[in-house]
Amino acid sequence: MTAARSETSCETCPIHHAGNLVKLGVNLTGFDYVVAMAGNPNTGKSTVFNALTGLRQHTGNWPGKTVTRAEGAFSYGGKRYKIVDLPGTYSLLSTSTDEEVARDFILFGQPDVTVIVVDATRLERNLNLALQVLEITDRAVVCLNLIDEAQRLGIAVDERTLARDLGVPVVPTAARRGIGIQNLLKTVHEVGTGVLVPKPKRIVKHSPQLEGAISQVADALESRFAGLANARWVALRLLEGDDRIIQAVTTGEIASIIRLSESAFGERMPAGEETVP
Amino acid sequence: MTTVSGPNDDILIKAGNLRWKLGENFHDSLMESLYTEASRLADRAVTRTGAQQHFNWDRTLDQLLTGRWTGFPLMVALLMVVFWITIAGANVPSALIASLLIDTVHPMLQTFGSNIGMPWWLSGLLFDGVYLAAAWVVSVMLPPMAIFFPLFTLLEDFGYLPRVAFNLDHLFRKAGAHGKQALSMSMGYGCNAAGVIATRVIDSPRERLIAIITNNFSLCNGRWPTQILIATLYIGALAPPALGGLISASAVVAVALLGVAITFLTSWLLSRTMLKGEVSTFSLELPPYRPPQILRTLHTSLIDRTLLVLWRAVVFAVPAGAVTWLIANIPIGDQSIAQHVIALLNPFGMLVGLNGVILLAYIIAIPANEIVIPTVLMLTVLSSGAANYGEGAGVMFDLEDHRQYLAVFNAGGWTLLTAINLMLFSLLHNPCSTAIYTIYKETGSVKWTVVSTLLPIVMGLGLCFLVTQIWRLLGGAG
Amino acid sequence: MVDPARALILAAAVSLLLVLVFWPGIGVLARWQRTRLNTRRILIEDALKHLYDYEYQQLTATHRSLAGALSISGDEAARLLEGLQSLELLRAQGEHLVLTDDGRAYALRVIRMHRLWERYLADETGVNETEWHHQAEVKEHQLTPEQADALAVRMGNPSYDPHGDPIPTATGEIPVKRGIALTKLQPYEHAEVVHIEDEPDVVYAQLVAQDIHPGIHIRMISIDKDKVQLEADGIENALAPIIAANVTVVPVDRTETIERHEATLADLPLGGSGRVVAISRACRGPQRRRMMDLGILPGTTITAEMRGIGGDPTAYMIRGATIALRMNQAKMIHIQRNEEKAG
Repeated sequence: MTAARSETSCETCPIHHAGNLVKLGVNLTGFDYVVAMAGNPNTGKSTVFNALTGLRQHTGNWPGKTVTRAEGAFSYGGKRYKIVDLPGTYSLLSTSTDEEVARDFILFGQPDVTVIVVDATRLERNLNLALQVLEITDRAVVCLNLIDEAQRLGIAVDERTLARDLGVPVVPTAARRGIGIQNLLKTVHEVGTGVLVPKPKRIVKHSPQLEGAISQVADALESRFAGLANARWVALRLLEGDDRIIQAVTTGEIASIIRLSESAFGERMPAGEETVP
Repeated sequence: MTTVSGPNDDILIKAGNLRWKLGENFHDSLMESLYTEASRLADRAVTRTGAQQHFNWDRTLDQLLTGRWTGFPLMVALLMVVFWITIAGANVPSALIASLLIDTVHPMLQTFGSNIGMPWWLSGLLFDGVYLAAAWVVSVMLPPMAIFFPLFTLLEDFGYLPRVAFNLDHLFRKAGAHGKQALSMSMGYGCNAAGVIATRVIDSPRERLIAIITNNFSLCNGRWPTQILIATLYIGALAPPALGGLISASAVVAVALLGVAITFLTSWLLSRTMLKGEVSTFSLELPPYRPPQILRTLHTSLIDRTLLVLWRAVVFAVPAGAVTWLIANIPIGDQSIAQHVIALLNPFGMLVGLNGVILLAYIIAIPANEIVIPTVLMLTVLSSGAANYGEGAGVMFDLEDHRQYLAVFNAGGWTLLTAINLMLFSLLHNPCSTAIYTIYKETGSVKWTVVSTLLPIVMGLGLCFLVTQIWRLLGGAG
Repeated sequence: MVDPARALILAAAVSLLLVLVFWPGIGVLARWQRTRLNTRRILIEDALKHLYDYEYQQLTATHRSLAGALSISGDEAARLLEGLQSLELLRAQGEHLVLTDDGRAYALRVIRMHRLWERYLADETGVNETEWHHQAEVKEHQLTPEQADALAVRMGNPSYDPHGDPIPTATGEIPVKRGIALTKLQPYEHAEVVHIEDEPDVVYAQLVAQDIHPGIHIRMISIDKDKVQLEADGIENALAPIIAANVTVVPVDRTETIERHEATLADLPLGGSGRVVAISRACRGPQRRRMMDLGILPGTTITAEMRGIGGDPTAYMIRGATIALRMNQAKMIHIQRNEEKAG
């Protein structure tokens, strides 16, 4: 632990795994941080994306996949951010290509920040996806979008309660009117630079039988790869027979994720206490 | 499953054994616990104060747009308006671009060529072949695409397109296809390559393949001008002048509707033969209506769709231009290659009520449907000796006046039957090379690319043959 | 110019001929391909499967059982066994036929392809349940191990086929048989169905018709020699004992049961609402997952909102979103109708 600490004493180093990101088709030249954007379809995700990137964006395909991919860029606080729009999905647990692309990017690409766009008017169905993302990554910001629409419908969302329950910052926005975008940029920047360290509460309780199976595999994973932050998620994916994860365990590629998480956590854990809203 | 043995295999074996024990129902309980947690968190964070006016607004609109009596008429009317704006709105900019690229820049290039002492064959190939083909594609394709795609994206952003899929789903269900095929089909009216890409919204592979194969039956932008021109010249002319416009417009709409009917028929046939099966998954979210962001939409649809499609078309039109010029100018014996091929294709062309010129034009125009009419004109002039039109052998041109078109076609021996068959063949023939390439990229399969390419051409030739022979049997001229 | 009448007749004849030759399934080409497939390799693979099946069920395979299973004559069976022995896939211990390790590995490969293909048909196509087994019987001899692996990866390495039989892994691992026959279950006992025998066809079709699938929860009500009365995922059901014997279950201690219900989502009138009790086990694979991803889970309240022009699909309000489902999907979602009648 002490070794890791001295290696990564830099407060503002990016956390992403450059090698994996390049494999996933992200050109990192000239960028300091990588932001991924996840969310359900029809949540105004592309509006948030547009509001963050302006017109500096381009679309293409994910490498080897017939899934559209949008990329853009923005600067904040003197840092250059690359933002990758993940396909809009209802879940991350199924076998569809969209979901595979999204979950592999968050797990293997290790984006510095993942923005989860949720629709304030249908919070319940959107939180389902948010909870899944938070199983994979700690470094997330929830963008509570469409608050204007929610207001019209007489729905009030208390973002402080939500932030406390989830353990990650929640930023209310109405992206269509540009409301809350500055705040979102600031929060993304704080999480990206490590000023703010989200600590998601992984509170989802499974059936005793599944819980037992997950712990068995997760324990085995943790004792082999000390510091694997999302061992439970990896264990769950192994139980679901996800071939990408099976391969990553076989080849030891899974270790590339750990080193980063370990260094990040070794260094930033103490600062987190008071910064979570 | 990976069979390479490695140091971490014990973990995989442990997980594997647990999988046998867990069975496969654990996914259900997993989703249940996630949603339970999600709804607990949502309950804690959300307070509702009542006011539900917005829902009513959405509901009213839905009752209108998906209603039993109003749904279909509104849908047809809305699509007609989109097409009308596209066709009418594209005329002026098309003419402007054409006059700039073809009437102004082209002579300048020719002058430039002769000034620097370029040999006639090189300037012919480059300026009369390659340049003119590219200029044609840009002037004919860019304006309608730049109008159609943004309009379409606006409807999409507004949330109307899922309602179209909702309205049409029962027809697609009967044909063994997916309701979302309605989306890719309408997208195909702009461009089949874009339509094929749009089939990505269909998440089950069998239904997606059906949507890809049948997308070509949506008349694309490159084919609308052919339909409109031929209908105006031959079908509108049958009616008194006052009704001519209406009659020819109806003829074009009839061909487009025939395309829709053939889409359903082919989907039905495919799902009973090569792509047997029932629909595996279907779910369609009907999102709330949201006012579209007009400027943003204009920008992104222009960048993502229009320019991408146009770029591909130009890339493919360039070699086609070169080929046209070359075969019209390289002689074998006392005739050009084009004249030889036309003579060869003519007997078969007559059998299906077309002619050698049209068939050759369709071969040359594989890269882009837009260049069919200019190629037909050029080849007709060449083969019939109607030499007082146009600029000379192998130079693609556009005639200002409809009477001039008619004179050229009549010199080529055209009849009403030829015109009808050309309209049918324009609907039912191979996809352009851009679309073929896109189909290959999307399906990743040579087999399905070949099927998508050959099926419409076989259907087209078959239909033209039937129409021609029955026409002749009933004693029609031609 | 060609005489139109003659041209039409000629064209009709040519297209008829083409249809006869190329029509998938019934055409001459398809028939020829089928006969060509009846080769020695298929006999060998089917024989290995039979031997393995008996071994798995701890029965003793003999020359006669083989001839019976493959419907071939005794002489043919004898020749086949000789062939298998010379390939070192089989050892004979008197009457008793024993697979060698190579023979067992080969048999498991064939079984893996068979079960994977059944799983694929069940999850990703709309092919009728009663056809899965027959299509897989053909496909198991055609797939290469690489194709089978690619298919497995795409489907998320499934561990059971749709009848509840374990799918051997690529390295030939397979768990021991589990469960007891449904007819062994005592009244008031609870159990989960883990396996359904897919042969003979008549019995299987009966089970499918009564919506009995692996994964459903059974509560035994009464059992005698004429009738097995039970509750399957909250629906009362009666089976003939001979049919129930083809169902394997694992008893579970579960006090809470799926509540009894009669309606499905398809029964909801517009404006009516109901609470989901269960999703039929006939809804599998990506389709089942998609439904759950959309929030259709036991306990979810669903309201029918709009009906499509042709009476299908119907749009439902599900956890705040409007989602259209087709009738055949709505029929797979079992609900408890809410009492109050909404406008």
